[in-house]
Amino acid sequence: MTMYAPGSVTELQAIVRDSERVHVVGKGSKPALHRAVNGAAIADLSGLSGIIEYQPSEYTVTVRAGTPVRELNAALREKGQYLPFDPLLPEVATIGGTVACNLSGSRRFRYGGVRDFILGAEVVDGAGRAFRVGGKVVKNSAGFDLSKFLVGSLGKYAIMTELTFKVFPDVPRFHSLGFLYEKLEEALSAIYFVNQSVYELDALDLVPAAGNWKILARLAGFDDTLPQRVERFSAAMTGETETIHVEQQDDSAALWNPLADLSGEFLVKVVIPPKQIPAFDALSAHDRRRYTVGGNIAWAATDEIAQLDTALKASGLTGLCLRGAVDSAVIGVPLESVLADRVKQVLDPQNKLV
Amino acid sequence: MNRAVLAALESLYPADRLLTRDVELLPYESDALTAFNAKPGAVVLPINEEEIIDTVRLCHQMALPFVARGSGTSLSGGSLPIPEGLTIGLNRLNRIKKIDPQQRIAVVEPGVINLHITEAAQPYGLYYAPDPSSQSICTIGGNIAFNSGGAHCLKYGMTSNHVLGMKVVLADGTVTQFGGESVDGVGIGPDLVGLFVGSEGLFGIALEITVRLMPQPELYRTVLAAYNDLGAAGDAVSLVVASGLLPGAMEIMDRLAIKAAEASVQAGYPDAEALLIVELEGEALQVEAEFDQLLGAIEKSGAFEVRVAQNEEERTRIWKGRKGAFSAVGRLSPDYIVQDGVVPRSRLGEALVEIGALKAKHQLEVANVFHAGDGNLHPLILYDGREAGALERAEALAGEILALCINLGGSITGEHGIGMEKRDYLPAMFSEEEIDIMQALRRAIDPNEIANRGKMFPGGEAPALSQHGMHPLERAGVISRE
Repeated sequence: MTMYAPGSVTELQAIVRDSERVHVVGKGSKPALHRAVNGAAIADLSGLSGIIEYQPSEYTVTVRAGTPVRELNAALREKGQYLPFDPLLPEVATIGGTVACNLSGSRRFRYGGVRDFILGAEVVDGAGRAFRVGGKVVKNSAGFDLSKFLVGSLGKYAIMTELTFKVFPDVPRFHSLGFLYEKLEEALSAIYFVNQSVYELDALDLVPAAGNWKILARLAGFDDTLPQRVERFSAAMTGETETIHVEQQDDSAALWNPLADLSGEFLVKVVIPPKQIPAFDALSAHDRRRYTVGGNIAWAATDEIAQLDTALKASGLTGLCLRGAVDSAVIGVPLESVLADRVKQVLDPQNKLV
Repeated sequence: MNRAVLAALESLYPADRLLTRDVELLPYESDALTAFNAKPGAVVLPINEEEIIDTVRLCHQMALPFVARGSGTSLSGGSLPIPEGLTIGLNRLNRIKKIDPQQRIAVVEPGVINLHITEAAQPYGLYYAPDPSSQSICTIGGNIAFNSGGAHCLKYGMTSNHVLGMKVVLADGTVTQFGGESVDGVGIGPDLVGLFVGSEGLFGIALEITVRLMPQPELYRTVLAAYNDLGAAGDAVSLVVASGLLPGAMEIMDRLAIKAAEASVQAGYPDAEALLIVELEGEALQVEAEFDQLLGAIEKSGAFEVRVAQNEEERTRIWKGRKGAFSAVGRLSPDYIVQDGVVPRSRLGEALVEIGALKAKHQLEVANVFHAGDGNLHPLILYDGREAGALERAEALAGEILALCINLGGSITGEHGIGMEKRDYLPAMFSEEEIDIMQALRRAIDPNEIANRGKMFPGGEAPALSQHGMHPLERAGVISRE
């Protein structure tokens, strides 16, 4: 296995041109993705790092793909802004890996995911061509939007070298609450209540809690109104749903790290509509789980990946394994798409990018 | 249209849904970019997705170019017919198949009118967010093709950000599905929804679309500020942004646009060089706190008059003038072209000064109405098509405005798309290699290049003649802009 650490786009192009197969890695924060690479040359993009252009007044930032999320978050925080899609592994991931795997944390609930905040990218495709997709302004509808296509593309169509995002102003204060329910159905009803209510939550997660189910809700805002909003929301939740208990939660990074309590050999992301949670949960009850983003993304940690794979297939769902010794990071229903195949023909006709 | 093609279409459609006579084709000859028209060979009106699929497959087999069309409101000529090609009118596929308020989604057919989704969602306290000015007539299929925006896109994004899943027929007749009911959309694997939305009808036709709905804000606070100077209104936008606020909408209109809106809908706007509309939306307590902050920012901006909508009626009136501005401009001038280039927000002032200089140079009037929050300009270039050379001057001015947007680091289109109108400017924004790649992608999906042929890419056959700009129905005396 040959390892490369390109220091420029030109070097990366040469690596792609001269190799039979190329596999990209950033900081390696999602090891399950780097196992089945069949002797491909490894291109470590962590050398392509740094913020290229940040214009707080434009709500836009352009960074090299290998930039650590931590560094980008810190630069934005300094100007009171943030990436609303809430990169999942802020301490260890690169921004390129976050986009390639489409990994958002719980705060995705408020404004949207990676797809909603990516504006453009510079890429090197499987033919070694370097080119730009999308734009650099907050609004652009010229040409095909290949920048959105890159979200979740797992490095198999083109290698991102530079990314432009829309960013938003952040708020200074947060308050977190826990609502306890006896049954999963009751907790889901509470989520549906929130979904049709006027309360604007920063995050809304669902976690199994010692035989019960806990909804973790986070409100964000300004000092003067947050306490009142918290009170009002809490009263509405206890009044409208079968809550057995409300608790104040310490609003910490650990509380809102969906993976904090998910120990187990394998860690899997599942895209799931809330209404499919009961059926899926019954099949994965022996795994550690957390349902984030209002129950639209499931995280499961397990020691029995084959069982989880079966459960996903039975539920018609696809999972992406981030951690653990797997032959393929994609489990459950396989990814097959005629449209994606057509893009592959154009961007990587020799099937170099794996 | 040749006999064989016609016979094949006759086998798919009854006579009342296969239009071939001149008088029947007339309404389809043009869209909202009225400076261009072309006569299609035929128009078919499918009533279900099987008919659409069969039609696309037939077009693929016979290499017959087709345009999918909703209500024909494209401002870039996106739904302009292909001469002698087929226009597939989708208005009859207008069923809202499902509203699931608990998961906040709706599943709709492509011919559903944008505003009808909101109307169906309203009883559940929900709405469909993208709000193009034509929302009371434009269809979701067209919104998808052109990734339509609207005044309220700053906070929650454009059409692409609100589509979670879709079933489509590609231009070669392949039917495929992607995404689903999770708000994460495709979620794992490349975001095919994101690729398809905004592809200007070149990839195929959306058959069924899953969109996300949003909870109706508890409170709106809408402020109208009047300025003696257009630049001051632009600077006010920067002040609002710098204060850390994230309004739902920030719009500016200049004197000419104000005059047109007043004449048309009597919005009661102040007599000013520029008007700024800022709208906050959300949880009442939060909005009230933000509102104080907003008024503070606007006070500093030198507005000579500030009005706050006191009730829903006043809010509606403020928006009516803004949303009606395009059609209102039709009262001031027999013809107009509207551009929708984007510039970085901080360079709005510069762009407006430049546009002022350009209009003087070309001796044309330009009305400016724009989504200031995201730097999306909408200069309306007024001309009289009966005057020799006027259209050419208007087009030259439009071209210079596009070049200006690119030079300032922006885009030639924020939400209307390239369509027929701006295809010659695509190379100003993308390199030859980038355009080659996009064209290769198009051919990988549509080897015969039949889907919306003549749009987006420069050159190729000319699909339409330029002419004096009344809509064909206007010329025939059927409709009027009054």
